Formats: sequence, C-alpha cells, structure tokens
Amino acid sequence: MNATPRAHRRATRITAAAALSALLLAGCSTKAEDDKGKEGAGGIKGGPGVTDTTIRIGSLTDLTGPYATLGESITNAQKMWADDVNAKGGICDRKIEITVKDHGYDVQKAVAAYSEVASDSVALSQVIGSPVVAALLDDIQKDQILTYPQAWSASLLGIDPVQVTGTTYDVDMIAGVDFLTRAKGIGKGDKVGHVYFEGDYGANALEGSKWAAAKAGLEIVEQKIKPTDQDLSAQVAALQKAKVKAVLISAGPVQTASLVGVAASRGLKVPVVSNIPGYSPQLMASEAAPALEGMLNMISAAPAVNADIPGVKEMVEKYQKAYPKAPVDTGVLSGYNTALLLGLALEKACDNGSLAREDVVKAHRQLTDADTGLGTPQNFGNVKRPAAVENYVLKPSKDALGGAEIVEEARVAPGVEDYLKEKGRA
Amino acid sequence: MSDAAKPLLRPAAVLVPLLVLCALPLYLESYWLRIGLFSMAAAIGAVGLTLLSGTAGQLSMGHSFFLAVGAYGYVYFSGDPGPGLPPVIAMVLAVLLAGAAGGVFSPVAGRVKGMYLGIATLALVFIGHHLMLTMDGVTGGFNGRSVPPMEIGGLVLDAGQDDLTVLGVPFGAEERLWYFGLALLAFTWFTARGLLRGRPGRALVALRDSETAASVMGVPVARYRSSAFVVSSMYAGLAGVLLALSFRRVVPDYFGLVLSIDYLAMIVIGGLGSVAGAVAGAFFVTALPLVMAKYADQLPLVAAPGSPDGSLGPTEASRYLYGAAIVVILLWAPDGLSGLARRLRPRSRPQPSAPPPDTGLAEPVSTSAVPVATVKEHTP
Repeated sequence: MNATPRAHRRATRITAAAALSALLLAGCSTKAEDDKGKEGAGGIKGGPGVTDTTIRIGSLTDLTGPYATLGESITNAQKMWADDVNAKGGICDRKIEITVKDHGYDVQKAVAAYSEVASDSVALSQVIGSPVVAALLDDIQKDQILTYPQAWSASLLGIDPVQVTGTTYDVDMIAGVDFLTRAKGIGKGDKVGHVYFEGDYGANALEGSKWAAAKAGLEIVEQKIKPTDQDLSAQVAALQKAKVKAVLISAGPVQTASLVGVAASRGLKVPVVSNIPGYSPQLMASEAAPALEGMLNMISAAPAVNADIPGVKEMVEKYQKAYPKAPVDTGVLSGYNTALLLGLALEKACDNGSLAREDVVKAHRQLTDADTGLGTPQNFGNVKRPAAVENYVLKPSKDALGGAEIVEEARVAPGVEDYLKEKGRA
Repeated sequence: MSDAAKPLLRPAAVLVPLLVLCALPLYLESYWLRIGLFSMAAAIGAVGLTLLSGTAGQLSMGHSFFLAVGAYGYVYFSGDPGPGLPPVIAMVLAVLLAGAAGGVFSPVAGRVKGMYLGIATLALVFIGHHLMLTMDGVTGGFNGRSVPPMEIGGLVLDAGQDDLTVLGVPFGAEERLWYFGLALLAFTWFTARGLLRGRPGRALVALRDSETAASVMGVPVARYRSSAFVVSSMYAGLAGVLLALSFRRVVPDYFGLVLSIDYLAMIVIGGLGSVAGAVAGAFFVTALPLVMAKYADQLPLVAAPGSPDGSLGPTEASRYLYGAAIVVILLWAPDGLSGLARRLRPRSRPQPSAPPPDTGLAEPVSTSAVPVATVKEHTP
C-alpha cells in the first residue's frame, strides 16, 4: 500500500475540498449569536424557549420502551392540554408548543435528547424513568429548568427546579400500613411482607413501610426483587413460610399480577396493598383478574379515573373524544394534572413579569395551594416536603373505566406528619 | 508494514481532517457535540474490545463493567466522598483501577476461552450493577454521582467557570470537552495501532489462530491472554472516564448488559480486529440511532407523538432504519466497515505485490511467524 503520486494528488484534492466546505460552513455559523434576557412582547422578560408568540415546553418520554403505555397516555393528555390552552389564546399571549422526545428508557438517548430540547425549552412537562431523571439531575439544576419527573421517590425532593407531584412512595406506604391496620384487621405482632424493587422506588417505599410498621408494632418481612423478575413463586413461598398476614408490594404491574396470582393459587389469601405504579388496567385482561379484584388495593395520590369529581369527568370526556382508541388510565390523569400545574406556574410567572427559566421556578414555588380540580390540592412552597400527603385507596375493577375504583376518599394517614418531621421533610 | 511511514508522505491527508474536527465546535450545537463525545468515548472502548475479542479472539460480555469501573473510579478519586485528587491524576488512577480489575479477572481469562469466557464475563455485569447500587458511599447508589469536571493546567472543562470565547463563539462544557475527547481518541488510536502492529499484536493473532502453534513458537499463552484482558480493560476505563465527563452524572442503570452488547455490535459492524473499524463501528452504533431519531419525524408516514391515530412514531421508524442499515452492512460487508473500506481502496491504486491487510485480521500463521520468532529470541 505505497502511496503513489496519483493517490497523493487525489488525497490532496479531497482535503482541499474538505477545507473549502468547512470554510463555507463557517459562513453559516450562528453559534456566536446571543439572545437571552431580552424584554419581549407585553414587557415580559424572555429566556430560552420563549419568543413573542410561543412558549416551548420539552417532554422526555418513553413511547417505545417498558413504559410505553404510560408515556403515550401522558403525552396525549399534555398535547390535549396544549391544544386547549392555545384555543383559548395561550398563556401570556403566547401559544404553547410541546416538543416530545422519545428515549425508549435509554439513559444515553435521554441525555442526548435533553441537550437537544433543553436549550430551547422553558420547562419539562414530563421526564419518564428514574434512571433518566437521576442522570439529568445536575443538568436540570444548572439550567434551572422546571421539571416534573414521572417518579415519586423522596430522594427527588429538595431540588429547587424538580417537582414531584402528589405524594412520595414512602408516604404512600405509610398510608398502606394504616389501611391494613384500620380496614383489614392487621394488628400488633403480625408479620407483613414487603416485596420491593431494588433501587430508588423500592428503597423509598420500604423506608415508609418500616417506619409505619414500627409505630404499629408490626414486623416487616422484606423480599427484594429485580425489575427483571417476572415470576414471584419463590417470594410467595418465602412469605407463606414466614406466615405473613398481609403483603405490601412496590414493584411493577407484572410483579403485582404474579404475586397475587401465585398467592391465590397457593392458598395465601391475604390482603395485598400496592403503590400505584404497581398496577395497570391491562391487568384486568389477564388471568389474575379475579384474584386481583379480591385481594388487591392500591394507594394513590390521584383519584380513580371514574371518580365522581367534576374536573376529572370533564377531562375524561374530552380525552375520549380526542383519542377514541386510546385507553383512559391513571397516566392520562397524572399527565393532564401535571400540565395544568405547569400552566399555573407559567401564568404566575407571567404575572410576575418574567418567563425566564429561573423565574418560572420561582413562580412555581409561590403556588402554595394549587388546585387543578383533579383531586387534592398541592403545595409547592416547601421544596423539601412532598407536594401533597393525602392518599386515596383504590381497588381493581374490571367494569370501571380505567380499571379501578375508589374505596376510600383522600385522607392523611396518621403519623405522616411525624414521619416527615423525623426525616426533616416537614 | 509500509504503512508506518505513510503519514509522513501525506501530511495533508491527516492534517485537514484533523483541522475540520478541531473546527467543529465552532459551528455545531451542543447536542451534536454531545453525540460526538458519546461516540468518541464509545470508540475508545470499542478499540479496547476489538483488541480483546477481534485480535485475541476472546469473547467478552463484561465490557460495560470495566467502563463503569473507569467512570466511577474517576468520580471517586476526584470527588467527595473520595480523596478529591486533581482530575488528571484521578483519570490516570481510574484507568489503572480498570486495568487492575481486569487483572483480578485475568486468571479466569487466562484459562477459559471463547463462548465460555463470554458467559464468565457476563457475571461481571451483574456483580458490577449490584455493587453500584449497594456501595452508596462510593457510587451514590441508584441516583449516581455528579462528575467533577476535568481540569488541565488551570482550564476547567466545564461551563460557567470563565467566559472563554473563541472567534466569538462561547466555549461551554461540550466545546472544551470535544478537544479533550479528540486527544484521548488520538492517543488510543496510535497506541492501539502500535500494539497491534508490534510484537504483542502478532503474538495475539497467532494465539487466536492456533494456540498450539503459538505456544510451540514460544508465545506464553496464558500470560498473553490475561494481558490482553488487562489492556482491553484499561481502554474501557479510559472510555468510562470520557463517558462520565460527557454525561456529567453517572448512574448504575446505564452500565447494563445492553451496553456490553452494543460494544460487541460496534466491533462486528466495524470489522473485528481493526482499530479504524472499531472507531467507525462506535460512531455507527452510538450516533446513528440518535441522529435518526432526531430526523425521523421528517419522513413520510411518520406521525408526531401525541397524534390520535397512534400510527408509526419517529422512534419506531428510526429503529427500523437502523436495523435495516445493520443488515445491509453485514450483507454487503461481512467483514465490517473496515473490510468494506479495504475492498474499495485498491481500485484506485496499483496492487502491492503481497498485500498485508492493515491489521492482520484473519491472517494465516505464515505472516505472524516472523515477529513471533522475534519474541522467542528475546525470551530467555
């Protein structure tokens, strides 16, 4: 492979062409321009994602990975909200535009998508996937971009631009233990199993259940599982051997179905209480449906989709009209609720005279009684405290819209305030 | 090989692409630079894997573990909790740590081979993931740790430290890291080629083709196999450091089995045993899906997310295209991108009398015999 004069000339020509094209491209560079912090239409200070006519919002979702159903529901609901708002003239006389990026639950894709979207967005109306949220925490803090993660771990509290909506997993499990002792006859000295995912979600849920169990004189029997574990026969056998009187589960829908199905078939007929991410209406089409209806309850900060609340009813009606083929599930409700909350923050920021990102975060923190009419009001004033502490108790229902119905209306479980104080989150 | 003198004959062919690469941060948005950085990091890791799997013929599924060791090693050594060392020293220590991790595993790598080694290394991924989640003090647990920025001679490779502008372009984190990444990639490129073309490379190729023949000719089999593992781990460690710097925060869930498989895909698509192929494969596997996903919504029949009919979304479309691209490459160029380049090249050039391929890929023992004999002479 000796270089001949001909090859040499050719190489030179190619390089000359490359250099020339680079020079040409140089003429097109717009990177040197700078346009932040100017005052725009209506005397409102702008920032990234804000022009005189539009407000751009980013959205990092999962439409092709394990949370595709959830991602689709949230994305649809938020698109519907944006269309609604725009039909009424927008916010701050500006139209809302949502840029949706699908990362398929892949951290690297999500980080790349973030750098694509964030430079031109005021806020992120959804970020799905705990690992994704974790990987972006530093960037979000640096950019001061108001972000609503679709994750409810207490470890996400205390970060100014990050807002967990509703309750956290630990508060849910305290309510779960409270429900077991109040309604299911579990009492002092009883053993309660807790099956939980390795990682943030499970760890936080376990924190809550252990605290509540200690207060109620119960003993927690831990069973740690991985998201890839789909058959919980071994865990059920272990719980059965430990003679548990009830089971808490903080996992995914597949694991909940397996746990309840196997337990029912083995004769372990005990009440099971799950965090809401552990349930999905699709389970009602599975073989475990009768067992789930008989044994399972879910703890949720949001009401059931079929709840008799005017705001919820109106939203469901609109959604069914806009997306006749899509299922109406909790994702729709939480996605729409988040969008409404973001709308409130943007309006507040507009009233304050600035749509710059850090000012949107500030405006958001001024919302101490944000009521969207879709359940319990939320308080974003204290960054360390969960935005709400009231929980509904739901149960699976084959016939109900959204596959669930309310068993108990929203209430604060006793001890939650003590717990938050003890953990420095009050 | 006559290649060694060639860059001197064609300085323009090396300099101009280099100039273009150096000029890119002046024009590209941070999104593109970040993709470029991910690809450069992947390229460094893929070069390490191609030394091991392509040249030495040892299948490794544990590459993501060594990437993680490098990434977390850097974060630990340069951060708090941790000794808080200067970033450059932390980087060197992280690479050494990855090498040490490879060394600890090398007794296994020295004895088990082929498919069996692949399965053995699989264990590393799961052990690593478990450790990352449970060693909270070092790894930060599930939520990971933020990565201290690199600092070279007083220049911090991160935004918001000073207002560095070059030709009117503000230089933030990605722009600065870009040059650092280029330097690391160049370092990897030249050291790996040196290794492959020198005595160790020949010995490894001999080893892969016939262990018996190699050992008869005096190649210490077990030692070479385990040192291939150590060197490969060190490249992975270096890639891990650059990955950590471009992510700005490391989380355990990134370093999973899928990542290991991605690296195997890179070296297969690039062409086993070729440094240039590994780099090309790394860019293909890392950048192409991201870029396709960005532009897929421009394609016909693709609907924007949130449209009511629930038709083909941009990500699905880009996945189909990416899959098709892999099939096309493997059909048309079964020996990967480097093989394709090699087959296209001679058309414009007269054939040398005995064409030795760039990397000695699948060379018969005859060419390897010469340097192997030299090894023997120097071994008492």
